[in-house]
Amino acid sequence: MAVFDTPQEAFGALRPVCVQLTKAQTWENVAQLQARLGAVSAPALQELQEYVLFPLRFALKVPGPKQERLVQSVVQCISSVLAATCVKKQELLQELFSELCTCLSPPSALNKPALLSEELKLAVIQALHTLMHSAYGDVILSLYQPSTLPLLGFAVSLLLGLAEQEKAKQIKISALKCLQVLILQCDCQEHRHLDEDGAQQCGDLFASFLPGVSITLSRVITGDIKQGHTITVSAIRLFYQIVGLVMSDEQLSRVPKNKEKLSVEQSRISELMIHRGPDWSKSTAEKLTLLMHKIVESSSVHPHWKVKLELVELVHHLMKNCRQSLVDSFSHLLKALVGLVNDENSEVQNRCNEVLQSIAEQRIVAENRALADVLSENLHSLATALPRLMNSQDDQGKFSTLSLLLGYLKLLGPKINIVLNSVAHLHRLSKALMQVLELDVTDVKIVEDRRWGSESSYEPSGCLQKGKCQKKYFRFFTEEKVFQLLQQVCRVLGYYGNLYLLVDHFMGLYTESVMYRKQSAMVLNELIAGAAGVGVDVLHEREDSVNMDDLKGSITSILDEYTDQANWYLITSIDTEEVGTEFSVQHSELPASPGSARSSVLIPSSDPHLSTRTMNGNIWQICIQLEGIGCFAAVLGKDFRLLLLSALYPVLEKAGDKTLLISETAMGTLVDICEACSYDSLQCLINENSDYLVNGISLNLRQLAHQPHASRVLDTMLRHSDVSLLPLVEDVIQDVLSTLDQSYDNQASTFLRVLYSLMAALVQWFGTSCSEEHQQGQTAEWRSRTLSQVQQQQLVTRQEVERFFLDYVRQKQIAEGNLPDTDDEEADGVPPLAKPEPNNSDTEGETPLPSHAQLAKDVMERCIHLLSDRNLRVRLKVLDVLELCVTVLHPHGNHLLPMAHRVWPALVTRLISDDPLAVLRAFKVLCTLAQKCGDFLRQRFSKDVLPKLASSLLSQAPASARAGPVYNHTLAFKLQLAVLQGLGSLCEKLDMGESDLNKVADACLIYLSAKQPMKLQEAAQRNFLFFNKPICSISVTAAHNWSQKCEVPTQKLNPPSYLAY
Amino acid sequence: MALPPPDPEFVLRGTSAAVHTLHFSCAGQEPDFPILFSGSENGFVHVWNLKTRRVDTALDGHGRKSVYWVETLDAKDRLLSQGRDQRICLWDLAEGRTSVTDSVFTENVGFCRCSLLKVAQGRWLMAMAAKSLEEVQVLELPSKTSVCTLKPEVGAKLGMPMCLKLWQLDSGSQPWLLAGYEDGSVILWNLSMGKALSQLVCHQEPVMSLDFDSEKAKGISGSSEKVLSIWSLNEQQNLQVHKIHKLVNSGISDITIRSDKKILATAGWDHRIRIFGWKKMKPLAVLDYHTATVHCVSFSDHRNPTERLLAAGSKDHRISIWSIYTQT
Repeated sequence: MAVFDTPQEAFGALRPVCVQLTKAQTWENVAQLQARLGAVSAPALQELQEYVLFPLRFALKVPGPKQERLVQSVVQCISSVLAATCVKKQELLQELFSELCTCLSPPSALNKPALLSEELKLAVIQALHTLMHSAYGDVILSLYQPSTLPLLGFAVSLLLGLAEQEKAKQIKISALKCLQVLILQCDCQEHRHLDEDGAQQCGDLFASFLPGVSITLSRVITGDIKQGHTITVSAIRLFYQIVGLVMSDEQLSRVPKNKEKLSVEQSRISELMIHRGPDWSKSTAEKLTLLMHKIVESSSVHPHWKVKLELVELVHHLMKNCRQSLVDSFSHLLKALVGLVNDENSEVQNRCNEVLQSIAEQRIVAENRALADVLSENLHSLATALPRLMNSQDDQGKFSTLSLLLGYLKLLGPKINIVLNSVAHLHRLSKALMQVLELDVTDVKIVEDRRWGSESSYEPSGCLQKGKCQKKYFRFFTEEKVFQLLQQVCRVLGYYGNLYLLVDHFMGLYTESVMYRKQSAMVLNELIAGAAGVGVDVLHEREDSVNMDDLKGSITSILDEYTDQANWYLITSIDTEEVGTEFSVQHSELPASPGSARSSVLIPSSDPHLSTRTMNGNIWQICIQLEGIGCFAAVLGKDFRLLLLSALYPVLEKAGDKTLLISETAMGTLVDICEACSYDSLQCLINENSDYLVNGISLNLRQLAHQPHASRVLDTMLRHSDVSLLPLVEDVIQDVLSTLDQSYDNQASTFLRVLYSLMAALVQWFGTSCSEEHQQGQTAEWRSRTLSQVQQQQLVTRQEVERFFLDYVRQKQIAEGNLPDTDDEEADGVPPLAKPEPNNSDTEGETPLPSHAQLAKDVMERCIHLLSDRNLRVRLKVLDVLELCVTVLHPHGNHLLPMAHRVWPALVTRLISDDPLAVLRAFKVLCTLAQKCGDFLRQRFSKDVLPKLASSLLSQAPASARAGPVYNHTLAFKLQLAVLQGLGSLCEKLDMGESDLNKVADACLIYLSAKQPMKLQEAAQRNFLFFNKPICSISVTAAHNWSQKCEVPTQKLNPPSYLAY
Repeated sequence: MALPPPDPEFVLRGTSAAVHTLHFSCAGQEPDFPILFSGSENGFVHVWNLKTRRVDTALDGHGRKSVYWVETLDAKDRLLSQGRDQRICLWDLAEGRTSVTDSVFTENVGFCRCSLLKVAQGRWLMAMAAKSLEEVQVLELPSKTSVCTLKPEVGAKLGMPMCLKLWQLDSGSQPWLLAGYEDGSVILWNLSMGKALSQLVCHQEPVMSLDFDSEKAKGISGSSEKVLSIWSLNEQQNLQVHKIHKLVNSGISDITIRSDKKILATAGWDHRIRIFGWKKMKPLAVLDYHTATVHCVSFSDHRNPTERLLAAGSKDHRISIWSIYTQT
């Protein structure tokens, strides 16, 4: 684009405009020159540099007031010349420099920026910037001589003034940039690096400006946030560059002790020069510390991430260059760094980590006692303030405070022990943690949530989840990330710290007060995880990884403490069944681990002050301890197998706890243990360690207070294992039975739970061999409960009833003389007789019972005794167990029948004169028994039970006929329904005689009335199905009775035509 | 108020047969773990690791015939076991081996437990009931050479030897043998002369078990009766009855005096283990856990007295381990 390539041509072109400009300094002339300059090539312009500059400089120098516009264009023109050329003469540089500076402030008011337009200021700054870039090497260095100090100082103060006081963002930024160039720290790559001497010289010079520059910059940095982040960023950069240069350790170390004597003519200037001796550096460092503190305070919470990033750079730069000189400021710097480690912005975070990493790698902290002291001092003051901060700050504030804490710990690394060895430090720190980690124990739900499933359902072992921590609620914070930080704090402590010391200390707190117990358990868990290096995020590896034996030792002692009776058997509910026993245990101070249970049983004392809060706290306490055990297992891996001896029993005990949270947590712990000890499944874990468990159960059974726990463990074992467990626990089941024999009065309900689980397990394990009939029976029962099924059956029933009457008609005809045709009757689809009992072969020989059946028999034996217990709940439970026993014993008829014989009297009592609830259950048992024993019971049933049942049905009928819809929810209704539902099949199973069937039919008939509740009608209807067999005799009576009694035909049953008959 | 009787420290299950004999080997230092050997009716010798409380190995060397005596030769690696197959086996258990390296055929049909005495480094004497009914034979181990055969006088009508105890006053001195016989008498034998020095009728029934404290020159024996008989040996090498201790229930199957000679334990047919002070026969505790006859009791040889244990094996297939140091 350049038109004039040679100097001659260029000269020709530029001369006229230059001359004109010299003559008349007008804006137009400058503009003309500017325009011509565009057409001149850079090499040509270089030749003519001074020539072209002359009129321009002249224009600036002309005395008298000048047009701002003119000055501005002149300055711009100068800068465009300079941009294309190099300044090769020192004088020119200095002159231009001073001339440009003067533009900004008229000589009259030195050091005070004149009231100039912003454009002009900007132009001048840019010109200065260009000037500095157009001078090279030695030329530029000539500016940095003691003699030019005043000039430099002038420029610096001008620029600082602009940077601080101007409003326009652009000017501020340019001023800061220009300053940066001025201190030879420009970002661009063109500059030659200063050699050591040069740098030293510059350092000496800049030392004079340091106070002014640093103070002004700190004002800019801490200024209004609205000024925009770029300004703050540049100011921070400038700050650390100049501080890093002047206070550089390298330079300071080379400063001679005494100030050099300068020649006389320089003496005035030498007064301005600063000697960077030790005194000076010390006092400067002190002052800088104050500034640094301010800067850190404001920048670390700056909303823009770039500012934070720059702050990190500041720390990095100063830590690198001024390690010794600025050691006092380090506490602030580290605080900034550490606080930013967990910044939301990933870039800041990464850079921060890098810097921390480099600091750690350089072992600045680890090997620098002074720094470690600084850090531990910071840590101490932070720990002191922590409780207060945790009370007052919001979650965000807490987060940053804790980040800071974590950062300190990480930075201290192995030096943590210096802090920990000081009692005061450790005390502060732990107290702070105790306070922060305080749980919120006001939630009532935790206490109320019970595990009801225990009664019936068997958890399929496949769906177990890995034991993840239960979500905890803290008093002082809600956000999860705060908790994670706290976790990290503890883990880092465990990672670097002296494990014995820490464990000892926190165990001390654990035992010291109930207030701290939950928190210290949490801390202990994390400490161990940290010590093992699980989930810790650290800056540098510790020197020696933890000794496995130490770890094991610590874990063992913690485990002992956790499972100590006083800490393990806490009151978690006010369930009357449990409280008594829990209480009695709580006071003894012996470990819960099996084998050493020697508590003396105390009389239960009810504590009136037992609040929900306390129970909630206790629940959490247990959960945290359980989580701890899971964590220990994960840490030790297969080595934990040895500890299963003492740990597995208590965990299983809690897995059977009635509080939902506890049992869930315990299950999680079990899964953790499985994984850690590499067992394939929970079943494996239980089966392979059944010897430990059995041992514990057997020993604890000997203690009255521990019997409920022992039974709970057995319960859990049965629940979560399979048939292969049976041979392993047979022995101890016998123990349970014999213990039960010794204490029917007070412990029956505890043991019944186990017996129930045992029998339920047996039914499940040997279900297939326990006859499919039972299953069918049960499914039929289930079916009858669902509405749709009911309707379906109802349909069938109507048809059946219809068929029944048709049959009756035909029978009548037969009776009147028509040919009897039995085959025909069979072909009509009358249901065949109940099948004979399967497995009849079993009843032949006196083959020894298989163990499970023997157990069922043994249990049944106990049931006989317990059937007449005073407590209704016990009786109900016994009836449930009895039903299961019958199911298990079923294939072994020659054992079942004698047992049935023995059970009968007690069962009859239940059926005839007991609470309706018990009658209901007893009737269910009776149905099952009838299914199994068949006609063995016929005689007894018809003699002992049937009359009573029938009469009660009859007597209840008027009541139910009169009752409203609410009646359906009463016990009496349920009883009626159950009896009606069961009676038919019962009669069929027992193959009842005619007169008995008549009784049943009589009783059922009333319930066919439309006044009766629907469900009862249906149940009664269905019963007639079972009467098909003795059809002739009964039907006559039935039909007869019906026609007599049912004046009001049922509306639900369409009055069939045959009724007319 | 007296403390309630303690519970077992733990119970070992899994022998699946009545336990007849027990022997501890716990003197080893870490990383050796304490071991308990148990011999049971089904012919197995179980090696229990007392750290994991589980069977490490089960040794099958007596043709499924009851094992009623186990003892180690010095270290836990060399084990002697005596079974109803009339054999005494020497096991090599070092480095996980489980082989019988040597055996003695006793040809004795009784169930008299052997007695072992270390007389010198690498040299033991073992007394065992011999082939002919009333005789006792003493062998030197490991050479298996017969040292002497102790025959009662003709017409003594002692019956079979029931229990044996070899002892010496201090190492290097002359070994002696105390033997309890079927007729209820205890005889002190001089091994070098092969002569009975003294005979004392302690019981009306066969002597089931005896133990002797050479320091106090006092011994104790039990039979199927309701008494424990304590007798002493005077300077003239005569046995004399010192005291008779009456029991509530009859039948003692094993008696062991603890190595510190402070207490002794008896295994009762009444399912109970009884602990007495040895000095005055003061009853200290009745340990009630088993549900069948207790066959044997044994004290452990832990180096640290506080760790010492008592084990009892019973017909109910269980071995109960008790920590009774603090109770004494």
